[in-house]
Amino acid sequence: MSSASISVQAHRPAGLDLVRRLKDPALLLLPALAFLAFIYLLPLIDLIRISVSGPSWSSYFARVFAIPLYWDSLVRTMQISVTVAGLCLLFGYPTALLIHRSRGIAQVLIATAIVLPYFIAILIRTYAWMVLLGRNGPINKLLVSIGILSEPVQLLFNRGTVLLGMTAVLLPLMVLTIYSSVARLDQSLARAALASGAGPIAAFWRVMLPLTLPGMGAGFLLVFVAAIGFFITPTLLGGPGDQMFAMHITQQADSVTSEGFLQALGVVLLTITLAVVAVAGRFLGFEFIWGGRKLTEAAPRATDRHTGDAGRRSFGASVADAIGWPLLRLFGRLPASCGTWTVRLMGGLVIAVLILPIIVVMIISFSSASYLTFPPPGFSLRWYEQFFSDSNWMRAFWTSLVVAAMSAAIAIALGASAALGIVRSNIRGKSAIMLLLVSPIIVPPVVLGLSLYSLFLRFDLVGSVFGLAAAHAIGGLPIVVVILSASLQGVDTRLEQAAAVHGASSLTVFRLVTLPAIMPGLAAATFFAFLHSFDELVLTLFLSSAQLKTLPLMLWGDVNYRLNPVLAVVSTLEVLLVIAGLVLARPVLATSRKATSQ
Amino acid sequence: MGEPAALRTTRSGDAGARTSPSGLPRERGTIGSSIAVRDAVKRYGSFHAVDRISIDIEPGEFITLLGPSGSGKTTLLNLVAGFQSLDNGEILVDGKPVHNVPTHKRGFGMVFQSYALFPNMTVSQNVAFPLRMAGVDRAATDRRVAETLEIMRLTEHATKSPSQMSGGQQQRVAIARAIVRRPRVVLMDEPLSALDRRLRESIQIEIRDLHRTIGSTILFVTHDQGEALTMSDRIAVLNAGKIVQIGRPLDIYRHPTDRFVASFIGESNLIEAEILQKRGSTLTMKNRAGYVFNAESRDTIDVGRATVLVRPERIAVSNEPTANSTPVSVTSAIFLGEILRIEAHMEGGEPLLIRCTDMADRPLPSVGDRLHVSWGAADCWVLA
Repeated sequence: MSSASISVQAHRPAGLDLVRRLKDPALLLLPALAFLAFIYLLPLIDLIRISVSGPSWSSYFARVFAIPLYWDSLVRTMQISVTVAGLCLLFGYPTALLIHRSRGIAQVLIATAIVLPYFIAILIRTYAWMVLLGRNGPINKLLVSIGILSEPVQLLFNRGTVLLGMTAVLLPLMVLTIYSSVARLDQSLARAALASGAGPIAAFWRVMLPLTLPGMGAGFLLVFVAAIGFFITPTLLGGPGDQMFAMHITQQADSVTSEGFLQALGVVLLTITLAVVAVAGRFLGFEFIWGGRKLTEAAPRATDRHTGDAGRRSFGASVADAIGWPLLRLFGRLPASCGTWTVRLMGGLVIAVLILPIIVVMIISFSSASYLTFPPPGFSLRWYEQFFSDSNWMRAFWTSLVVAAMSAAIAIALGASAALGIVRSNIRGKSAIMLLLVSPIIVPPVVLGLSLYSLFLRFDLVGSVFGLAAAHAIGGLPIVVVILSASLQGVDTRLEQAAAVHGASSLTVFRLVTLPAIMPGLAAATFFAFLHSFDELVLTLFLSSAQLKTLPLMLWGDVNYRLNPVLAVVSTLEVLLVIAGLVLARPVLATSRKATSQ
Repeated sequence: MGEPAALRTTRSGDAGARTSPSGLPRERGTIGSSIAVRDAVKRYGSFHAVDRISIDIEPGEFITLLGPSGSGKTTLLNLVAGFQSLDNGEILVDGKPVHNVPTHKRGFGMVFQSYALFPNMTVSQNVAFPLRMAGVDRAATDRRVAETLEIMRLTEHATKSPSQMSGGQQQRVAIARAIVRRPRVVLMDEPLSALDRRLRESIQIEIRDLHRTIGSTILFVTHDQGEALTMSDRIAVLNAGKIVQIGRPLDIYRHPTDRFVASFIGESNLIEAEILQKRGSTLTMKNRAGYVFNAESRDTIDVGRATVLVRPERIAVSNEPTANSTPVSVTSAIFLGEILRIEAHMEGGEPLLIRCTDMADRPLPSVGDRLHVSWGAADCWVLA
């Protein structure tokens, strides 16, 4: 038989191995990786290069740390970020529980109240807070009318409003992260704890809390990392004493003299962010970034993970033991319904904080007054008229649409191919590649904008529609990859085999089986990639020109100079866009959920 | 039990005139392909999922790959289907190599364990799929789909979506899809294991009848030995990536080549015994309990020790000592309906499993009872 096998080897066409290699799905990763290498990694490397190009490599960094302004601002940024992450955790956890515990239509409404703000631009949500807290805003009016204040006061531009605004903006991220870990818990665990004689509070403390600790950790770190790079909210809601680190970069960006020093600022911010993510990834697994399941990797990894899991769990248990028992004895005296009411109260507060500003802004957009005031003295469509008849606004609107459509197209083309590559190939280091594809979510937008600025200058792309769309696609790509690789993992490979064996070619299999199965994911990914670009402000600040203005850029200019109801009109339109998107996506999401549960 | 010779005459005879067991006239011209696997190797790292397997399958044969999970049976099926590529060796269909032919050009039909019905298509669209892919025109497609649905008794479900059907119905749709193109080879990957026992048995019969009707070569994978015994013309028993034995169900059951096959197929007593003497093909042997018995052997062993297979239903039981019997003490007795399943110990402590028909004249033995058992030369099989 051995001679037969040799002859078979010899008969195999020489080109076959090449053909097989060309059909390797891993090749599908190449376009996205090439794209990221050129427009994302290269500029970041260049940024680091410039930051160390001083007389000695550390001279620019020495300046950053020598000037008290920057050092103080760095410390302040850390303080604010930790506080915001802590607040988000405190209020986010009960809200996640509230979603989990409610049923039917109530659950849908509560979840929508959390998800909707998540997809509305940060700029718009911050603007809503400015309206709410302004001198003529509803809060001042309310306080005056019930007699706490004798006349309206300045509520804005202090540390409190920065914390409030940032917490409100980042809460949905926290709630959704924790919710995914709460929802993954086996329902019967809590029942088993109750059946074993644990009271509701004990069951929560000893079972639910330790098991959701990784989710809480992930939420805290995601919020913290996002807060470090925050720029829009503190700029608009903070006073002179609330400068955050990212704000210095934009302030310095215009002066040519600070070349090198500016990059050093960016590298400091980037380093802190990456260090936090690296430490977190070490303990939680880097999947926490995209909230995904572990990709199927080579087997030996599995054992590592198990030991890690065990360590984490025992750590959770000991924490619960140390803090929990004394508290538990105390809480044991409270009525059992106490926990339920805490959850409802805090969850209700969170929903109010997330939804009320949006509602106020929508109402104000129909105001008949010529300035911002709430409640409006009367209703009219004058601001809509003004918006739709103003050629500047309309041009910006169309620019945004074009840029967002192009950006979504780029992100979908590259991201779908990359998702196929990562799910369907057998290459090693899938986790590392996934991490690279998803990493743009983590990099502070200010740093990314700064690094792209020099690249765009060199290739004369500043102010080009295509350049801006490509830059926006850096952030759109991770969204597409995460959504599509999840839906691809849900596709039953047996279905594809069944199609192939009954005569369908690879392309036909993809068209008739794979594509319909990932269609919901594809639609959602397209919408979110579009929305990402449509809302993008920070990169645009660096990369646009006087001729190329997007809607968020116009908004940004107006928010800073004149706070009028036209902004409320734009905000209302954006909210309607997101609602329409969610409504369209709802049946799609529902069917995909049904498909995965089968 | 399978009687391949009789089956083959049915197939090669004037098929058009005959009526198949399912009551429908046989389609003329569908004759199965021969399949030859030569030296097939499939490795995953250092693990040999399929380790130099060679097998020749005759045209129109119903052959079952039987083995425990991880034995390589599904991998071998996937290699034949073309879902995976060979690391070495070749696969020939009707003498032509197919291992470099992409799956969709091999022209097979296949039934999956999970049904794998396309959820976005109706029953008739699912069944029409292979014809659509083959470019069959619309009128012919409709006619063939209607015929096939009729054979599978699915006509009234034609416009349903697969999710509206029960497991058994879904599996019949999957079978309909696999045979609609009248493929010369049909692959079945544990098609019945997701069904409950009653349904499984009725679909077993359906598949057998279908095999006679359409005449395709069927390559059937299962880990259920009962299924393999009732359905197959021949069974290939796999273990650790190799074929350990291949043969007719009766041969495999009666004359397994080694301990693995003997214990994997059917219930068995494997008794260690010393060979006392050999006369012709009959060995006289003695086990640890000192029981002396005769056994038939095809092999040439004549000295030393050997393992003897005695099937539980071949053991004669009585309450009183008989000629050449040995006493055993009962450790458990279970009434299974028409059969009693008795576990007992021989004198040396060796366990012995006995299956006998219900003994109407005496009560169910209870634990500790003494019984007397015996078996003849024809009831044992000496393993190498």
